[in-house]
Amino acid sequence: MLFSQAKGHKVVASSTAATVGKVSGFVVDPVTRSVVAVQVKKAEKGDFLRWADLVAFGADAVTVSDDSAIGDGGPDVSALAGKAHRVLGKRVLTSGGDELGKVADVDFDPETGTVSALVLGKGGGGEVAGERLIGIGSYAVVVRETP
Amino acid sequence: MRLMRTSEITRRPVVTMAGEDVAQIKDVVYAADGGSVEAFTLAGRGVFAGPLKKGLAWGSVAALGTDAVMIRDETVLEPVKAMLAVAGGRGASGDVLGSQVLSDAGVDLGVVRDVIVSVDMSGETTGRSSCDVVGYEIEASEALGTQGELVLIPLPDTIAASGEHLMVPASAKEFVGRDLAGFGAAVEAFRAQLGGPA
Repeated sequence: MLFSQAKGHKVVASSTAATVGKVSGFVVDPVTRSVVAVQVKKAEKGDFLRWADLVAFGADAVTVSDDSAIGDGGPDVSALAGKAHRVLGKRVLTSGGDELGKVADVDFDPETGTVSALVLGKGGGGEVAGERLIGIGSYAVVVRETP
Repeated sequence: MRLMRTSEITRRPVVTMAGEDVAQIKDVVYAADGGSVEAFTLAGRGVFAGPLKKGLAWGSVAALGTDAVMIRDETVLEPVKAMLAVAGGRGASGDVLGSQVLSDAGVDLGVVRDVIVSVDMSGETTGRSSCDVVGYEIEASEALGTQGELVLIPLPDTIAASGEHLMVPASAKEFVGRDLAGFGAAVEAFRAQLGGPA
């Protein structure tokens, strides 16, 4: 699933069937190359839903057991949640120091949260396999150079 | 292996593998024999940032690409003073730029406008990557028949330099190039002809 498709998904509590928030963004950990938390808006208790705390990331909605799953995300998520660590719109550099383009979208596995590919836009085009991801910093997303 | 002008390397960002731009290249420091790049001095990022007290030794460069100089992380940067002491304290590119190139036959070939380096990262894992100075871009003198034009002149492995003059073998004249694309071959042919290692 693409970030662009997943954004705007409702977060629904399975205990009450009530909508408890809306997906507004994603927090990606470059070390595990996966989505560690979903950023949520319009939720009462916080802005983050840890990936481990969601029940399912479905085609139409994200389900959680109840709204207590949404909170501040904890220190590890907050550390990765800043603008500096955002993937979308950032330039992609290879470990060889060459720019490939900018990240237009991210493809991830809704079962596991694993980033499967970075979709390049302006000045690039094509995709970069998620397993090549090395780092996400304020200047660039760094990916392993292909041999 | 990639050829580039050192003027294109300066101002390039220095980026860690974590994606942070920690500095930008300010100047190139050459080895005492002038044959290779030893280190870079650095400036901070941003319009108003000044020079940094830390520099980047060539051995700590993970990759020198078209758009960025990659390093493992910020800890590889070293104090500039210590670095320059090792390099013999000479050789910021300012010393070379503007120097007159003389052939060993005593002919003025032109004035150095840029330094061409050959970057080889293939030894990255063994730590034997190299950044050799292979040529100069010079503003040609009368002797080359293309006065005032910028041309590329290949260099032997090591050259004699005084800060005023740079001496090159007279035969370098035969291997003058116009663009970087074919220049690598010209350098190899020139060096082979000299009998030294290509």
